Amino acid sequence: MLSAFTSAFKTPDLRKKILFTVFIIGVYRLGATLPSPGVSYTNVQNCIKATETGDVGGVVTLLNLFSGGALLSLSVFALGIMPYITASIILQLLTVVIPRLEQLRKEGQSGQAKITQYTRYLTLGLAVLQSSAFVALARSGQLFSGLCPQDNPQFTIIPENTGLPYWLTLTVLVLTMTAGTGVVMWLGELITDRGVGNGMSVLIFTSIAARLPSEGWSIKQSRGWGVFSAILVLVLVIITLVVFIEQAQRRIPVQYAKRMIGRRTYGGTSTYIPLKVNQSGVVPVIFASSLLYLPQLYLQFFNPNELNGYQQWIQNNLAKPSSWIYILTYFLLIIFFTYFYVSITFNPTEVADNMKKYGGFVPGIRPGKPTADYLDFILSRITLPGSFYLGLVSVLPNFFFIWLANEQYVNFPFGGVAVLIMVGVGLETVKQIESQLMQRNYEGFLR
Amino acid sequence: MPIGFAYTLVVLLVISSILLTLLVLLHRGKGGGMSSMFGGGVTSSLAGSSVAEKNLDRYTVLVGVIWFACIVGLGLWLKLAQQG
Repeated sequence: MLSAFTSAFKTPDLRKKILFTVFIIGVYRLGATLPSPGVSYTNVQNCIKATETGDVGGVVTLLNLFSGGALLSLSVFALGIMPYITASIILQLLTVVIPRLEQLRKEGQSGQAKITQYTRYLTLGLAVLQSSAFVALARSGQLFSGLCPQDNPQFTIIPENTGLPYWLTLTVLVLTMTAGTGVVMWLGELITDRGVGNGMSVLIFTSIAARLPSEGWSIKQSRGWGVFSAILVLVLVIITLVVFIEQAQRRIPVQYAKRMIGRRTYGGTSTYIPLKVNQSGVVPVIFASSLLYLPQLYLQFFNPNELNGYQQWIQNNLAKPSSWIYILTYFLLIIFFTYFYVSITFNPTEVADNMKKYGGFVPGIRPGKPTADYLDFILSRITLPGSFYLGLVSVLPNFFFIWLANEQYVNFPFGGVAVLIMVGVGLETVKQIESQLMQRNYEGFLR
Repeated sequence: MPIGFAYTLVVLLVISSILLTLLVLLHRGKGGGMSSMFGGGVTSSLAGSSVAEKNLDRYTVLVGVIWFACIVGLGLWLKLAQQG
């Protein structure tokens, strides 16, 4: 393991890539801590301290997790890659609906590039919307769910007595955060292009990892060493299990027929199609959790003390992460989205057609439609445990804070989405480094 | 400090923000969308960067540095102005 690290650093081009990635991550973290002009750093810190003990509003917690705490402090990179993720989700869903996008996706490389370009435009559009929304939330004090009133000078996030007209300060703030989102997008693309791993996911990984030490420490502070070490052990077990399942795949053997072209024989090889147990990654979890934010978002429009019957029901069940209805809905949504996403990304008919075109077949199965049916059958069977696994890991934090009896751990960074993303991205990146090492015949990290 | 200084910074910041956004949009997108983001598809980035792309990188970095300096400068100015 360690020798693999040294050999990775001895390979000049790989070393350059790794150092470049580290440099970009440094720039990203710098921007994530730099407060936007007009935002009072000390007051924001006061607010964060004031809300630490209570429960922070549900809408922003996941977003805050993805931006590595940058969102609540309204820093330059406050929005992080969230607009990009939202834009990609929207375009991904639209490809099913709009025929033109579907056509572009089938076109291959050039069509895909066009879709990416649309995603980038949409990202900046969303960034304008979201940054204005968050500035408005911060001004009304809702960003910290009313726990730090804005008329108290100690808590005023965007102070007015600066000499500049207030509207100008707000406009500059929105513009800066929008441009910041653009820069984050570019940094991600630079990593994809010249560094190791997929840029966007490496950036998410950094944001989540950046929060681990402080979150862990706050648990230790409030609960003492006993609970802290118990959680650490539990986390290690969870990570091991997640790695185990992420790596799991079913290999469907494929035999290629020998073909004579001129005097040469081609093909005749046997390979396999790897079908992963968790074919869809964490995307379903992100879909499901963004859907489950809608009830909470809806409740934000009303005064919490004057809710009528069904609104109260929503508050006690759908918007409360420790209620059984919430957990069950979350779980079922994840299962649904897992199947949905797998059906979007893996098309058995297409794979079977491609195999037929190149003279490949699964031993014992006729090429064409029977192969497609066979692949479909295996895929839907293997996705069932995959979706259960995704659902279980994601609702784990909810059990955590039923146990710890504290709403603070809603987005506990050691469970659910965070662990899935970290393990997924980590594995992917290490695999990419490894494949580059393999080109030079070195031993890899993973055996 | 004179307020003219702050206005200069604000104007610079607005211009550089807009320029930066446009420059970033001019780049060719490199992400492979959602599926490649969280493990799934296989991304191959075989296409190298062209000369135009390299120059674009240079301009983007330049504007980015100006943008960054403006943010820091304006942030400090606003902080001082608030205390005074």
